[in-house]
Amino acid sequence: MSSRFPVPEVPSASGPAHRFSRRRLLRHGMAAAGALLAAGPLSGCAAPASASDASALSVWDLFQGGDGMLMDDMIKAVSGGSRGFEIDRTILDWGPSYYTKLAMSAAGGRASDVAVAHLSRLAGYAPGGLLDPFDLDVLAEFGVTRRDFTPAVWARTQHDDATYAVPLDVHPFIVFYDKEAAGRAGLLDSSQELAPMGSPEALLEAGKALAEANGEAGILFGHVTDTAQTWRLFAALYAQTGAAFTLPDGGRAEIDVDAAVRVVSFMQQLFDGRSNPNNLDYNGAIANFVSGRGGMLMVGEWELPTLKKSGIPLGAAPFPQVFDEPAVYTDSHAFVLPHQESPDPARRREAHRYVAEMLKQSLTWASAGHIPAYQPVLAEPEYAALDPQSSYADAGRVAVLDPPNWFTGAGSNFQNRMCQPLQSALLGNTSAEKAVRQMVSEANTLLRQPNPVA
Amino acid sequence: MTTTAPLGAEAQTGPDASPTDGGRRAGRRIRMNSGTGLVFVLPFLLVFGLFLVWPVVQGLWMSFTDSSLSLRETSFVGFDNYAEALGDPDVWSSLGNTVFFTAISSVPLVLIALAMALLVHSGLAGQWAWRLAFFAPYLLPVTVVTLIWTWLYQPDLGLANQFLDTFGVGPVGWLSDEAVAMWSIAGLTVWWTVGFNFLLYLAALQSLPSTYDEAAALDGAGAWRRLWSITLPQLGRTTALVAMLQILASLKVFDQIYILTKGGPNGSTRPILEYVYDVGFTGYRLGYASAISYLFFAVVIVVSLVQLRLFRQED
Repeated sequence: MSSRFPVPEVPSASGPAHRFSRRRLLRHGMAAAGALLAAGPLSGCAAPASASDASALSVWDLFQGGDGMLMDDMIKAVSGGSRGFEIDRTILDWGPSYYTKLAMSAAGGRASDVAVAHLSRLAGYAPGGLLDPFDLDVLAEFGVTRRDFTPAVWARTQHDDATYAVPLDVHPFIVFYDKEAAGRAGLLDSSQELAPMGSPEALLEAGKALAEANGEAGILFGHVTDTAQTWRLFAALYAQTGAAFTLPDGGRAEIDVDAAVRVVSFMQQLFDGRSNPNNLDYNGAIANFVSGRGGMLMVGEWELPTLKKSGIPLGAAPFPQVFDEPAVYTDSHAFVLPHQESPDPARRREAHRYVAEMLKQSLTWASAGHIPAYQPVLAEPEYAALDPQSSYADAGRVAVLDPPNWFTGAGSNFQNRMCQPLQSALLGNTSAEKAVRQMVSEANTLLRQPNPVA
Repeated sequence: MTTTAPLGAEAQTGPDASPTDGGRRAGRRIRMNSGTGLVFVLPFLLVFGLFLVWPVVQGLWMSFTDSSLSLRETSFVGFDNYAEALGDPDVWSSLGNTVFFTAISSVPLVLIALAMALLVHSGLAGQWAWRLAFFAPYLLPVTVVTLIWTWLYQPDLGLANQFLDTFGVGPVGWLSDEAVAMWSIAGLTVWWTVGFNFLLYLAALQSLPSTYDEAAALDGAGAWRRLWSITLPQLGRTTALVAMLQILASLKVFDQIYILTKGGPNGSTRPILEYVYDVGFTGYRLGYASAISYLFFAVVIVVSLVQLRLFRQED
């Protein structure tokens, strides 16, 4: 047992053991027992870089698949060297359950040292005391300041004049396209990139042209039984009309109904079931695109690794501007400090250092398709060389997140409730006016509920 | 209490013993036995109390508070949560969905199970293969079942629509059409869980005494006549049990719907338990969620009592 205690040759942040939390628990349990039994004689064996597991920094995140492996790589990178971290990583399933667990662990006061959360969820966490604020002075000591982020994104990290999150990335809802099909459809500019659209009619035409060039479908969009996709599309287009979507606490939803109806009608026209299918689910849309049965795909940039593997000549672009103003629906993965009853100041400091070090690994993160929120990385030539990532790097500047309220954000009830009438409208089961009316009433229903985190 | 006491050799002097057989002595021994038995069931009682009884009590208390997942102070709100729940259209619509699902799933789950058991029991060749085929889906975890059926129901590439397409029938929105989605889920549920009821029926059929059946056959009764007049009446108690278990199980529907449709399209498949989950965990309002679940608890108790009375009359 004692031989298991110092594990300098196996950085705890990597390796298959991390996929099996039970085994890891066992290993940590044995390590702790070993530490208790043989503290004196063995302490000399531990390499200076690897602190005992009991003092390892615990981090929670929601990254699986490709993202999960990249996060592992980044943790491995910051774990090496004389000042490397000992990281105890826990991966939880993305979605409502993640946020429930995060809230419960924080309410219990014994949460992990660092966690990852979507910026759009901050309004449901920071006001309720579920998160602890960052110390900007400490962060600055480790080389990260507010000037390293775009103002649009930084603004969403604030609550009561304190910083509650440090963004790792910006992940917009964009379009991927088949370069050959787009070329045949005449949609590329002189530099072989997708040309700007400029009007709703142009995007409708593009869909038809792509369908013709491709021989099957034009624009693909998977939304059936999905609880976020239609909302992402709607929110992007609605923000482009310049209208505001506000959910004031204790009030009624402020939504420009005319603009919303215009957007939903346009979505219905776009996904007419002829040029562009209207009944695909998320996986179906991706499966169709990678098998060459569609010219363009509206989806989050996080699908890049999957799409790249397909071998089709892949192009990517920010979501096309078709209404008056440029806007792209976005969210952002951010580091947060879940509330702890009595945080150890030294550990807190280490948590800050960890976040700063991880940001500097953003280039690795960008390889999955995410736009690094940490601006110095965007300026590096290695980032410019990433194709097609660099072609939508500007999306972060016109980022539109969910209207802030305790019930909104990634994996929330709000997005699900907005998606239900939108899905009906796209499937032709209800009219645009009726769908918008239902969206307004759903939003008002949520607003009427007492805020449980204030 | 005493009827549960006999264990091992003591069973001979248990409740079946004649009253003249030194009743007092037996009684004392049984009492002593139940003391020993208590030690054995103590671990169970502890777990049962800690993880079932205590949360039930705690939940009842929470339903009278505005308890939430945040660090905010909790205060007592009396019957406010119950009043809100009774006036909440989402509570009623999701309760309606649950009842609808129970109705359309329980009937086939009982009838098909019975038909399967009769078929297998009638001496079909390759019995073990039929038993395995009918029972196997029940062994699959819910995630696997929903994964399989998500692809079957897939609107564009799914097997179900591809199959219809060969007959020239247009695509059906299995999970996206509000009028169809709940039926799709009921279909999946029948395929997945019918094996359990099938097993109960098969066990019952195998334990029926064959004498009545043989006598009727000697008297010239045909197979149908014997089925209607002898086998089915003898299965009455089993049917009552299967129906009771099935209705309770269907009322508890949650996981397959949550994974498959998240309650959509447009809330048409959202069962009340998902609404409780949405309100309590996604929406953090634990107090309100507790109140809704206690209202539902009351509904379940009422259904069970009605069923119990119906079946008792039958007996």
